[in-house]
Amino acid sequence: MIPTILADDELLARQKLRQMLLDEGEIQLVGESATTSETLELVRQQKPDLLFLDIRMHGKDAFDVVRELSLDPDFPMPTIVFTTAHDGYALRAFEVHAADYLLKPFTSERLKVAIRRATLQIQSRQKPQPAISSQGAAANNPYANRIVFKSRGRILFLPVSSIRWIGAEENYVRICTEGESYLLREPIGRLEEKLDPQLFLRVHRSSIVNLQFVKEVRTESSGESVVILMNGQRLSMSRSYRSRINEWLTHN
Amino acid sequence: MRDSEQNKRGSTLLSFMNPAVFLGTGALLGAVFALQEWVEVRQMSHHINFTLLLAAWGVQYLLWALICWVLWRFFGTKLQRISWFWAIVALLPFSILLSVAEEMVWVLCFPNLPLWMPHMEYWSRVLFQLRAELADGLVIFWCAFFLFRGAGYYQRFREKEAAASKLEVQLANARLNAMRANLNPHFLFNTLNSISSLMRSDVRAADVMLEQFSSLLRICLERGEAQLISLRDEMEFNEMYMAMQDKRFDGRICQEILVQPELHDALVPAMILQPILENAYRHGLSYVSGTGLLKIEARKENAHVRLNVLNSGIGLNPERPSDPDNHNLGLVNVQDRLRLHYGENQSFSISEVAPTRVLVSITLPLQLCENSPQLLAEYGA
Repeated sequence: MIPTILADDELLARQKLRQMLLDEGEIQLVGESATTSETLELVRQQKPDLLFLDIRMHGKDAFDVVRELSLDPDFPMPTIVFTTAHDGYALRAFEVHAADYLLKPFTSERLKVAIRRATLQIQSRQKPQPAISSQGAAANNPYANRIVFKSRGRILFLPVSSIRWIGAEENYVRICTEGESYLLREPIGRLEEKLDPQLFLRVHRSSIVNLQFVKEVRTESSGESVVILMNGQRLSMSRSYRSRINEWLTHN
Repeated sequence: MRDSEQNKRGSTLLSFMNPAVFLGTGALLGAVFALQEWVEVRQMSHHINFTLLLAAWGVQYLLWALICWVLWRFFGTKLQRISWFWAIVALLPFSILLSVAEEMVWVLCFPNLPLWMPHMEYWSRVLFQLRAELADGLVIFWCAFFLFRGAGYYQRFREKEAAASKLEVQLANARLNAMRANLNPHFLFNTLNSISSLMRSDVRAADVMLEQFSSLLRICLERGEAQLISLRDEMEFNEMYMAMQDKRFDGRICQEILVQPELHDALVPAMILQPILENAYRHGLSYVSGTGLLKIEARKENAHVRLNVLNSGIGLNPERPSDPDNHNLGLVNVQDRLRLHYGENQSFSISEVAPTRVLVSITLPLQLCENSPQLLAEYGA
């Protein structure tokens, strides 16, 4: 069970979120608040694991809540999911390591995704390593764990682990996850630099695969090499990348 | 309204330069000079027949009026556009010849003139007359020439002014249309109505639709007044719109989207495809009970972009019942916007490519957006 607080200055918004959270088995609602000061007080008292935080509330804004909580280094910072009608704060939310950013109105499916992400973040924090060392590791690791971008009127905090493969389309890249694909205006080279080469491999001038989803590498009768993903997707492969993937395959 | 006003103002100038004005001016000048000579002659205590003077001067200036009118009527634009070099090289000799010719005609008309002189042969009379009048002729010709040039400048100035204000009106209209198209009320309220109806039967589905609808609205608001957007943004919007329609049609419609990668950055008028898609659903696919197909294709054709929307509905049946208020209004709007943006450099067609398959095809000039239309992705822990 995840002790959770929800903070929103609108009664109807709280009501809707409360009802949706009641359907989520792992969530245990331990309090609600309508202002930033109420929220601070409640969080300090209840020490929840998860906080649903509306950005615009009476009093200060939600980022002040986060800042004041982080002033005390011993206080266990809850995992935060921002909820707002406004998409202008996404990058700030990203910077304070929010687990997700929900744009109102949202569906219960979208809420489930947010809870799943928050759960992952809570679990990683509860591991025995103290927070300081994990932050240190994050600073040493130059590769991205998440990509944030706008797509179809939503803000996405996409964990790179959910990416199956990436294809280049001229000035764009198409990022394919399990069920969806996103077209992003970004050179594939720049994206490749941001991805951990232990996890992602460029197999062609115009494609990168997530090695976790690679099923096999096969040479066709024509002599052409292809990478086959778990879902059956086939990606052609340049000769120059062949040795790298063979090496990876023998190590696993 | 303003267009016709502008045209009227432009044509008042042309109607001012009509033969009556030329001849009237000629007659007036002739009368003035005749009167002047009569007064001079009287002061020198000679007697002269005023009618003869009037006839002589009158014919002189009426001849010039006629010449000027012919020049204006048949060579007006040429005279207005001629370069100064040619004005001197060609027109100067021509003006002399013309003056000589005019005097020759005039001398023919008055065999008894000049008075108080012994009778002379025709050519000597012409020479006598030229000595007195050649300079006058040249002055008249060049005055007319500069008058024509002035009229030309004035006319062009007015035309430019008219074109500028016409463009302004067109721009304002285009902006208005674009705003209307960006938040197409038809689409807006139909969607709200669908959500309202879903709320009674399926709260979850209503919720999903509401989320999709707010995403669409968010995109519309972000675009603001931008008239041309990248095809990528346009297709993103259409995908969302089609996802919403997919809910309504219960997944019966197979959707296919094919965009050539080099066209992601091509500029298209914002929401140019949505009315076409709406039309495909309303007047085609909604009449089909089984599965249907809706296919969007974007292809590069030389310097143009071709956008195709194909639906496997019921074809183009002219006898199908349709509400006259909304029918094809969206498509007319699409054509208007294409024309406003690209003039004649675009095309729109709707045709039945096979029984029950309707294809709407548009082409527009290929322009690529230069600055990146979208924030680059942010990376982080």
